[in-house]
Amino acid sequence: MAEGSPTKKPEQPEYIRIKFDLPRPYHWSTGRYLGKLYAEAKENKRLMANRCPKCKEIRVHAPTPVCPKCKVDMGWDWVELPQTGTVFQYTYQVYPLWDPHEGRRCSNPHPPAIILLDNGVYLRHLLEETDTKKLKEGMRVQAVWEEDYDKRGQGFQDILYFRTIEE
Amino acid sequence: MPGRAAIVGVGQTYHTSKRDDVNLPEMVGEAVRAALADAQLSIKDIEAFIFSNMEAFEGILLPEHGMIAEVGATGKPGLKVTGGGTTGSEAVGEGCHMISAGLYDITMVISWQKHDCGDATAGISAAAVPTFAKGMVTGAVSEFAKQALSYMKESGAREEHAAMVRLKADRGACRNPYSHLKLGLKSVDEVLQSPYLVWPIRLYDFCPQSCGACVLVLASEKRAKKIHKKPVWVADFEVVHQEPFRAGSFGDPTGTETYSQHVAIERLYKRNGITNVRKQVDLAEIYEPSSWEEISLYEHFHFCEKNEGWKLIEKGVTEIEGEFPVNPSGGVLATNPIGATPVIRIAEAALQIRGDASEHQATRDIKTAIATALGGPNWTAMFLLKRS
Repeated sequence: MAEGSPTKKPEQPEYIRIKFDLPRPYHWSTGRYLGKLYAEAKENKRLMANRCPKCKEIRVHAPTPVCPKCKVDMGWDWVELPQTGTVFQYTYQVYPLWDPHEGRRCSNPHPPAIILLDNGVYLRHLLEETDTKKLKEGMRVQAVWEEDYDKRGQGFQDILYFRTIEE
Repeated sequence: MPGRAAIVGVGQTYHTSKRDDVNLPEMVGEAVRAALADAQLSIKDIEAFIFSNMEAFEGILLPEHGMIAEVGATGKPGLKVTGGGTTGSEAVGEGCHMISAGLYDITMVISWQKHDCGDATAGISAAAVPTFAKGMVTGAVSEFAKQALSYMKESGAREEHAAMVRLKADRGACRNPYSHLKLGLKSVDEVLQSPYLVWPIRLYDFCPQSCGACVLVLASEKRAKKIHKKPVWVADFEVVHQEPFRAGSFGDPTGTETYSQHVAIERLYKRNGITNVRKQVDLAEIYEPSSWEEISLYEHFHFCEKNEGWKLIEKGVTEIEGEFPVNPSGGVLATNPIGATPVIRIAEAALQIRGDASEHQATRDIKTAIATALGGPNWTAMFLLKRS
């Protein structure tokens, strides 16, 4: 309490504010299976997934050495995913949450969506269209890649978002 | 279950957004003292300790530093458990395992989260492996948004039904001395006026981040009745794994279904001969990060038929005075210190069975209750508690 005055408001605690604005690169081992996904995206702009030899389910998020359902070795059976699909579902951010990479409130204008790729596999990614009035389920979309080779190497994030296409 | 464990002591802190008056060990110490007082034991009686939180959500490495001394665990055997949202239930499971195995007669589970030190969404998006949610600044909220959209489409539920869940939670929270958000909401319209976070999840549809701790004292059959005159028995429990991303796997694109929930339910109910939950169980304390999730969980846990969860909330079945009360404490929607959240579910269910939940005690007599938890990477935890 402040001295001598019982009616005076107690002092607010002092918060220490630290601003992070330096890049913080880190090392992360992808391993053999994820490495294939990362390398194909960076080198060839291809999105790869692996397939279980038993149940034939395609593992999109993300390739694994063992099928979680059948518990068998996946082997080395790769499928290239189509880069066009249909918006199965979308949502969009209204209130900005924390951007942990910048350490401040930040909004992502690109709506997160579930996209049904043309081979029947569901992929979770972002949409380019930020006007929520123009969003609808069933929209046809196509992947837009990061064109700068040096900026690629982020796996799924090498695709920036999916762009609405007319067919 | 061989060598059942009983809950003989329950302790909580009050929950709030910021606890500037205490540091982490001091905050946890409050719940430890409360649990010991409830069990009428001294810290010297505790034979082993299990510590539990989610480190990335506070951004503090080795948060138990200083806490071991504060709670009086120095030199005692122990474990630390850190998982996803089910962290706390895994810790209670470990406490029960130690007792069932005959290793110890009295164990203490200490769980907490001090969210004023960090941010959960930051932890999820920045510290997770790059293939899991990296760059998704919406964290868990957009996942629950997608699930809500699917549920509305399939079941015919409307936003009003989610608002009714918050109203029920708020009525409970206002009667619970330990709860965090006590909003005093009066009507569905009031809830529907709250802004969207990630469409269609409104601010009032989602759980807060709280500071708080919850502690349980567990005891063996040999000791439980001598320690507490109303021990609550952990009749059975089940903790099941799945894998990252609720959706996109096992033919479930939006996460309205979760494989691990089905597996956990099937095993727990089968082992305990439960065929009609609402007849054989009296109450549930479930882990509902969003109001939509609560409705969805009614169905997953077989409280009703598929696509009829919203009818339970509409008819008031799950109210404190209802036929099958769910979360009379106010639940996760009102109070969410994540590492402690599942332990609070178990603690609140135990208090209801004892009849010690004071203002938010359910109207009907509670003899049997289930307490659940969920969390990334899609773990499901289910506890079945009984009075005898």
